[in-house]
Order: sequence, then structure tokens, then C-alpha cells
Amino acid sequence: MALMFQSDVVQYVCTCGQLKPISLMYFCRHCLKLRCGYCVCHEVDSHYCSNCLEILPSAEARLKKHRCQTCFDCPNCLNTLAVRATTVSVRDPDDPNKVNSLKKYYHSCFFCRWTTRDVGLPDQAVQTVSANGWSQKGESNIQRINVLLEYVRLLGMQERHEREQREKKFTPRSRRTFTHHPGLTAAHVRKRAGLPPELPAPSTIRDNLAEFQPAVAKEEVASLPESIFTEELDIDQVTTLTQRLAQPETQPESIVDLIPSCKHLCTKRSQRCRGCEHNVSKPDLNPSSIKFKIQHAASFHVPEVRLVSVQPLIGSKECEIVIVFSNPSQQPTTISFITLEEAEAEAQEHTEVTPDTSVPQGEAPPSLSSLTRSPPVMEEPRPVSIAVTGDVNLPTADVEIVLAPKDDAAEYDDSSDTQQFHDDPQIVVHRRANKASLRLTVIPHADKAGQNCTIGFGFRYTYINRISTPASASFEPQKVQLSSRTFLNCGKIKESQ
Amino acid sequence: MSSQASHESKSKSDLKISDQALVCHESKLRGDITIGPNTIVHPRATIIAEAGPIIIGASNIIEEQAYIINRLRPGADPSIVQVMEIGSNNVFEVDCVFESSMMGNQNVLEVKSHVGPGVEISDGCIIGAGCKLNGNERLPEKSVIYGSDCARRIAMDKPPHPSLQIDYLTKILVKYHHLKKPRSAN
Repeated sequence: MALMFQSDVVQYVCTCGQLKPISLMYFCRHCLKLRCGYCVCHEVDSHYCSNCLEILPSAEARLKKHRCQTCFDCPNCLNTLAVRATTVSVRDPDDPNKVNSLKKYYHSCFFCRWTTRDVGLPDQAVQTVSANGWSQKGESNIQRINVLLEYVRLLGMQERHEREQREKKFTPRSRRTFTHHPGLTAAHVRKRAGLPPELPAPSTIRDNLAEFQPAVAKEEVASLPESIFTEELDIDQVTTLTQRLAQPETQPESIVDLIPSCKHLCTKRSQRCRGCEHNVSKPDLNPSSIKFKIQHAASFHVPEVRLVSVQPLIGSKECEIVIVFSNPSQQPTTISFITLEEAEAEAQEHTEVTPDTSVPQGEAPPSLSSLTRSPPVMEEPRPVSIAVTGDVNLPTADVEIVLAPKDDAAEYDDSSDTQQFHDDPQIVVHRRANKASLRLTVIPHADKAGQNCTIGFGFRYTYINRISTPASASFEPQKVQLSSRTFLNCGKIKESQ
Repeated sequence: MSSQASHESKSKSDLKISDQALVCHESKLRGDITIGPNTIVHPRATIIAEAGPIIIGASNIIEEQAYIINRLRPGADPSIVQVMEIGSNNVFEVDCVFESSMMGNQNVLEVKSHVGPGVEISDGCIIGAGCKLNGNERLPEKSVIYGSDCARRIAMDKPPHPSLQIDYLTKILVKYHHLKKPRSAN
């Protein structure tokens, strides 16, 4: 896919100023802007285990330290362990002559053939082994960590107390009025006002803090074992750094001490536009499904540019390149070229107009009250930091190229295109279905020989907005003119002879 | 064309297949090859004895597209006979390449693995999928080579015996494939 979209060849400018290939961008249908991974809000929808596909609610996931309790990773190569069954014959305790066969289970890695038997872990009688079956050893630090966590929590409470004391004078009137309602407790009022629950009295916090015992530095350090000086080091018995860091609790030095670690949970995340808080991508909750409930990838809405062919690039000489535009939408679109400066000015204009036009009041989902979610972040778009090393002769802005709508069946249709477009044969080289190949001339800068020739241009395209807003009663698809900036890496510039 | 045919007929006479062995007709066997009892050679497997005879022991599985070649080294004297010995209970999985002259018992060459001419394999080794070995060495017993950067470790146990798989294949393969007739040394 990355090759197909030429990830480092054609890059689009995101609204935030990032350069990204179109396959990695989103398109917000409400504010009609490109969004990349850096300018959307990521929200965790669900936690699940990638091996057993069990969904865990986020509270439970946090309780279980974001690890699955039934699936394990190989401590040797970090792939998932598989459960294997064996039959073991055991002598009957009542009748010494009788032999019973028992099913026993152990874990084994299909990649590096590591097994739990390698490190002497006993076989289990049940197929689903819970984590505490063998991860008991080396958890001596757990109590100290809990004490430290509690201490930090108390410190935080004390700080909050002090802050609330300072702000007490300015309690908003609206909150006070709630107390007049009959049947509402103080805890209820706090919850309705969106405040955290009441703190314990400051004196108890102080008492608890006083009980804490800080760590004491030791004068004597445990000496190295004798064997380290006498025995020859067998490098095969020493764990690698990756293996050690995969088990932060014990950090074993020898491969004999490796124990399977519980598998980390994966998350399904949804992406929300920062400008209007609408979702640009929302996956299906079910972990076994790879579909999306909402997916507005930029490659479904914005015309895609690809580089087809480049003549040898020689400094300050005209050379031809052929690019292809393809229309991903179901409606025809019109494309016209503009310079980078014009496109940048248009983008800025668009940003200034946005707050009052494309985000009408009352459109935000009701769940997003201003208390629970921060207001939309409006950031100044950063300037694009890419050096252009070639000039491109663009067709004038009044040259309009119409792209036919995308038709999924056209791929299988052998009949020649019957559409008639009045194209300038100097510009449009070839047409097929929703694509048009265009010829442009590029003049690489003479002093940049040996470097990559980067050219940039902007283009306007028409977009049919099909979002119906409650404000406008009559639903009618809106035709809007949008613009985008792209940068093309055409390859190395050769020395001019 | 005629020269190739004559070459084939000549080399076929060197083929020695044990009575209990199961060699599919579509496999490609060239040169002086001895195949031991209970060994299974799948269709499209290739065994070429170029520099000298290949002696394959008992109860091996040689899967489709596996490529076992006793290659004539560049610059080597063709008059010196170089013997390739393969022990018993080894599994050559799909599309593996084996060029070494020595293999012990109960080894597994996983899918698309490659063992170069200088690597001698002892007993109970596993060459993981896609792993390439091209040095001059003798693998210690129970070595496991795995992963994209050919990491190594020594396992506790040898890989499981392929006998169950052999029993199954001896029942199934004869139903759908023509077999090469067993022939003795003479």
C-alpha cells in the first residue's frame, strides 16, 4: 500500500502544516479540511487482547495493568505462546498397579520453540492458566510501589485542597443554587457541576502523609557473586536487553529466569477532528472486525496525485513530468492549478471563516458537554518546512480539467471511454475512467545538482458536501471549491553539461 | 534433448529406493541417490547428486519444492567424490534448500530455510522459517535458529518425532500419486 501511494513521492500539506502522504490523512466532512494523525484527538474506544479477542472495559483493563490474564508472550522472542497438551501417566495412589493417564498442559512458542519446561515451570492441569500460576517470584517490590503510589496520591489531594481553599471565595453562583434543590446531597451537587468528589479532611491527609517512610540509602552494597570471577561466561545463557526490558519487574540476567509475561492489551481508537469534534474515524467495537463505523480517509474525498514518469532532470533545463489525477468521489470534480502562495492564502482565509460558518451552533453531539471535554483547539497552521528545488510551469488558473466520477465497475469494462471532454492536448495526455494524466514542465534549480528535485503546486477542486445540517432545513448537496497543496519528489537532479 | 534423455537414463540406474520408502513419481531425483526405509519424498521435491552420492536415512519427510543438492563446488576437482549423508527422522519442509554434506538425526528445516554448503548439522536442530545459514560451522545439538535475524538458542528437547505424520502420509499419498518403484542397489 505504501508503495502504491508512493509514500515519500507525493506529499500533501495538512491543515496543521504537516507533510503526509494522502493514505495517512483524514478528511473532516464538517469543516472540509485535511487532518493528519497529529491534528486529531485520539480516543481509546476499547481494550482487547489481540490473541483471544476478549474485550475488557477500561476500568477492568486498568485494574489488570492492561494485560490479558489468559494469553502469554514468549519471554525469549516476544511472540505469543501457544498451549500444548500432553498425556502424562501417573501411578494411582490407591492401587499401585494401576496407571492413570492425565492430560497436562504447557506453553510453547511456535517461533523459537521455547517452552515453559525449558525453565522448569511445572505443567498445568488446566488449559487456561491464570497469571498468578507462576509470576509470583520476584514481586518483592510490589508493596513498596503501592506505598509510593499512595503517597503521591495523598500529595495530589493535599495540593488540590490548598487550591480549593484559595478559590473558595469565587464559587460560581450557578453551583450554589443547586443546593436549594431538595434531596440533593453535596456529593450529587459536585457531580452535577462536573467537579471531582469531596476530599477527606486536610488533617487526615496530613496524618497519613506523616506515616510515610522515605527510602534510606544503604552504606553497604551487596558484593558480586564469586562465580562471576571464576566461571567462564556463556553468552548463550545471558538474556538480551530486549528480553530483560520485557520483564521490568524481575529483569532477569540469565535465560533460566525467564518466565512468560501476560500479553499486553491492544486498543481500538477513534479519531476526532480537533476543529469541530466530529469523528473522522471510528472503528467497529468488535475486535474481530476490521471494519469501521465511520472512516473519512482523505483518499476517499480528495483527488489523488501520482507521479507517472519523469524525463531526466537537468539543472535549469525544461523537462517534462507526467502526473495523474484520480477522482475518488462519486461525483465529477473540476480541477484547476494555482501556485503555492495562492493556495496558502486560500487555506488561511478558510481557517478564519470556519468558526462561524461550517460549525453551526448546536451541532456538536450532546454528550460533549463543555465540562467533560476541552474546547476545540484552534492552532495556527505551521509554515511548511520543505525547500522547493525546482520550478514548475503550471497551466493557467482558468484551465479546468474535469474528472469523471469513480465507477467501480469501470475497471472491468473494456469498452473505450465515450465521455467527451474538451481538453487541451498539450496538457492532458491520456484519460481513462476517473483518471487524467497531465503533462507539466519542470525546471530544476541549477545550483541544487545532486539533490532531489522537489516541486510544489496547489490545486483547486470541487467537492460536493452532502452533510445536512439542522440549521438549513432544505437538504441540498452543496458544491464547494476547496484547495490543497502538494509536494512532489521527482528524483535526483543531474549536473548540467 | 537426446543427450539429456541419455543422462537421465544413466543416472536413474544409480537410484536406490528402499522397499518401505515412498517416493512420488513427480519428484525429481538425479544422480546416485540412496533412500532409506519409511522415508517420504513428496511430488515436486528435488534431490540432485552432482558432486557425489546422496545417502538418505530412514523416516525422513521431504516435502514439496524442497531442494537437496550435493553441489559441485566451484574450482573443486570433479574426480574427488564428495558424499552427502542425511540421517534419520529429519523433516525438510516446503521450499527449503539443503546444500551441506552432513545432517544428523531428528532435525527440522522449516519453510524456505537455507543451509549452505559449509554448515554441518548435528542432531535435533531446527532451522526456522526463512533463516539462511552460509558460514563454515558445525551446529551444536538441539540448536534452534529463529527469527528474521537468525537468533540462536539451545533447546531443552529435540523436536518431536515425525512418525505420526509419516503414518498419515503413507496412507494418503498412495491414493493420489504414482510412486517410483523400489529398487535395490543392483
